[in-house]
Amino acid sequence: MYSYIARRLAFGGLTVFGVSIIVFVVMRILPGDPLVAIFGPEGMSKLTEAQRAHYMAELGLSDPLWVQYLGWAKSILAGDFGRSFFRSESVAEMIVRRGSLTAEIAILSVILSWIVGIPVAIVSALKPNTAADGVVRFFSILFLAVPGFWVGMLIVLGLLFWFGYRAPMAGASLFADPFDNLQLVVGPALVLGLGQAAYIARMGRSALLEVIREDYVRTARAKGLNSRLVIALHALPNALLPVITLSGVLLGLVLAGSIPVERAFGTPGLGNSMAQAVSERDVFVMQNLVFLYAVVFVLINIAVDVTIALLDPRIRYR
Amino acid sequence: MTVTSADSDTATASAPRRLSVLRGVMTLARRSPISAFWGIVAALIVLMSISADVVAPYPPLKSDFRAMQKPPSETHWFGTDQIGRDTLSRVIHGSQTSLTVAIGAVLFGTTLGALWGLACGYFGGRFDMISQRIIEFLQSFPDLILAMAIAMALGGGLGTVIVAIAITRIPFGGRVIRSVVLSLKEMQYVEAARGLGASHVRLMFRHILPQCVAPYLILATTHLGVAIVIEASLGFLGVGIPPPNPTWGNMLADALNAGLVPPWWLVFFPGAAITLTVLAFNLLGDGIRDLLDPKLRGSV
Repeated sequence: MYSYIARRLAFGGLTVFGVSIIVFVVMRILPGDPLVAIFGPEGMSKLTEAQRAHYMAELGLSDPLWVQYLGWAKSILAGDFGRSFFRSESVAEMIVRRGSLTAEIAILSVILSWIVGIPVAIVSALKPNTAADGVVRFFSILFLAVPGFWVGMLIVLGLLFWFGYRAPMAGASLFADPFDNLQLVVGPALVLGLGQAAYIARMGRSALLEVIREDYVRTARAKGLNSRLVIALHALPNALLPVITLSGVLLGLVLAGSIPVERAFGTPGLGNSMAQAVSERDVFVMQNLVFLYAVVFVLINIAVDVTIALLDPRIRYR
Repeated sequence: MTVTSADSDTATASAPRRLSVLRGVMTLARRSPISAFWGIVAALIVLMSISADVVAPYPPLKSDFRAMQKPPSETHWFGTDQIGRDTLSRVIHGSQTSLTVAIGAVLFGTTLGALWGLACGYFGGRFDMISQRIIEFLQSFPDLILAMAIAMALGGGLGTVIVAIAITRIPFGGRVIRSVVLSLKEMQYVEAARGLGASHVRLMFRHILPQCVAPYLILATTHLGVAIVIEASLGFLGVGIPPPNPTWGNMLADALNAGLVPPWWLVFFPGAAITLTVLAFNLLGDGIRDLLDPKLRGSV
């Protein structure tokens, strides 16, 4: 087991390295000029040749690429995520302050997706190809098609229109101000959670359909066990394994999905900072945030793999 | 001998193949009328976007200062925005961007990925190993974040957005097709062809590739929907196709920036258009999947 975890972590390290290369290539080497990104095409054309060279040198952009890469890697390792061009707060401070809100949204949405998705999966797997199954299938496909940020805008609009309600604008921490905090996270978590629930329901349904046909489930039925217990104790635990794996992938998608959704709700989380960095073309902040999100995604995947290995000996001993 | 038999092969194969496409459509309609219905909806949306200039009641960029921010009415079915542009016309023209980007990204990204997967599965060895690592690195990013970063680095525009979304599609094509090829490669008919002295290129494209068409089609239809949502998100976040071009994402972003309380019609209609289009493609894809691969019926 430990060797499995060690191997998985080593592999994760390699992946993080590869990810850092891709981020660096995308943000620094692709044809887009960082100065154009910062000043905009018009501002760029007003700069003189000397000014351009000056800014490039000041930002460390005229060094050889590998020097730039090493410098970046060194500062990341030291926990220095740089500073926005537009605000005084350092990016590291911003991540700490706003990241917790996004993390809360992500975790809450995963919990919600299980609460909604699993019962739906059970119902539709136990009565496959009936009207109920059809309705569930249609709704899960519908939820896959609806963009979360649009639903978010509609919810904000609806609440404002019918109840004159608007969630607080300022950030509120879970411990200092739990009620305000809840109002901030519940909307995005609901939208993102229902979106995931659709995937969970579909995956749970097909996994359960497969498991129900296995011999050991038939044995359990044959020995006269109550059919609810057969599902709950025998079939469900095995059917949940692929659902857990999927949930890990979805958690990564939620982190990305929370960017437009937080923007739609006006939630002051990290996703909203990302949206802001993008719209301001804040290259360096973007570079670090993209890297951070990818690393978090890699870590989530490792955590999921280890969890699955703990739960499923077949994987552990391979 | 090989040359002539190959030629006669293609000659006889083309006629039944055309027939089988038609038969496929008929079977789809008979076996799952729901998918066929959504297929028609998808076709209508495509038709609408092609003939946008004729169908749309107003030019999408024309402001009418006598009708600013008006709710839906007889003259403007979907209302007008802050500077008096007709929302219906903008939604119709928006479908052009959405579909161009989605089809472009899938044709480019999913196809490139599929060919890459074909080469990986066929050649195996070190090439495959390195390719799989690169694909894993690419998959370590949530789609939207990678697309955002690329779109931002390259600067906005139609081509950029297509490239950005296409790159996020590559790993999926690569993975799926590779696993299909891995199992096909061991089949006896491939071995027989190899025994007859067929070249790598001939084996790959003439014997293995045709078997990859079904999984590719399933993948491509699903990816159309995903690409539409990513394009809309990019537009919403301001790194898509720059305004004033009417795209569904841009329209939603405009609505959000319209003030504290955006008018409901500016929010509702563009989003509904996204939902309807993605739904149509997904359900059509579901039908195609059921038709081509009954084993997968109802799975994710």
